[in-house]
Amino acid sequence: MMEAIENSAYAVWVRESPSIFAYTTILSLHAIGLAIIVGINYVVAFRLLGFVPEIKLPALRKLFPWMYLGFTINLFSGSSLLMANLHNDLGNWLFIVKLVLILFAMVNLELTRINVFDRPGAIGADGLPKNAKLFAWGALLTWGFAMVAGRLTAYPNFVEAWLGF
Amino acid sequence: MDALQAISDFLITLPIGDFVASHDWVWPFCETLHFFGMSILLGTVGIVDLRILGVAKGIPIQTLEKFIPLGVIAFIVNAVTGFIFIAGNPVGGPMEYLTNLSLGLKMLTVLIAGVNLLIFYVAGIEKSLAVVGADGDAPRSAKVVAVVSLACWIFVIIWGRFIMYNDTLLYALGL
Repeated sequence: MMEAIENSAYAVWVRESPSIFAYTTILSLHAIGLAIIVGINYVVAFRLLGFVPEIKLPALRKLFPWMYLGFTINLFSGSSLLMANLHNDLGNWLFIVKLVLILFAMVNLELTRINVFDRPGAIGADGLPKNAKLFAWGALLTWGFAMVAGRLTAYPNFVEAWLGF
Repeated sequence: MDALQAISDFLITLPIGDFVASHDWVWPFCETLHFFGMSILLGTVGIVDLRILGVAKGIPIQTLEKFIPLGVIAFIVNAVTGFIFIAGNPVGGPMEYLTNLSLGLKMLTVLIAGVNLLIFYVAGIEKSLAVVGADGDAPRSAKVVAVVSLACWIFVIIWGRFIMYNDTLLYALGL
């Protein structure tokens, strides 16, 4: 099964084609998607933590589709990169940690959308819905650690030397 | 080439290379910081650009500009970590990066983004946004600056990723 995926025409093209549109462009798209979703979610989180309080939340809500665009770009680019390196990636525990952190980050994003923007409950003393700051920290930490894990997947020897596994 | 060699000779005299070579955490640490900087720079500058282009109306553009200092901090973080990558390259030395076409294009694109930002402030375009209300449309000049800004930063990311795969760029260009 894994061999079939790794040896599929698409996976081979992504991995081995010298074309500028294969591995390099897909990797670039992955960085762009990351910057879009993490960058915008960080701006939303900073606002919820009290930075630039003049910004009204309903206007900020309009940025959510752009985060979903970033996520979609990375779902496709990430799946392509994974197909091309299936054994290596799944054998790297940091890659699994990264995927779990991204899952947490997306659940946190949806909970933020529902509880802070779409159906805000009781408003606290800071003028923000309850738990807004909790979701903001959730975004900063889940995306932050996902990026750390993602970067460290490229340095398995370094990680093993420091952590022993 | 001689100028690049002179820059490389100077960078090698700095203690950065030795520091990177003798501490295995420096490179992955700086790389991770570089990604944080990238995200925050694109996020903060990008939302201002998007609002100028008419996305997320309901926020006055100059209010969103309060995020720009955060983007400047992110840029400084990336300039410093980027400098460490070039000066401290433990494998091919500074010359490997200084002669890398993708990095050259990336620096050129950063320069264009910088000139674009300078025009935004010096040519009075930023001032013209003061009268644009929360739901208002930005003038055409501001929209041009916003499109150039978004295109530049997206290409900075693309060229940045190409640095490690410079061969595919050279292959595409027939070099």
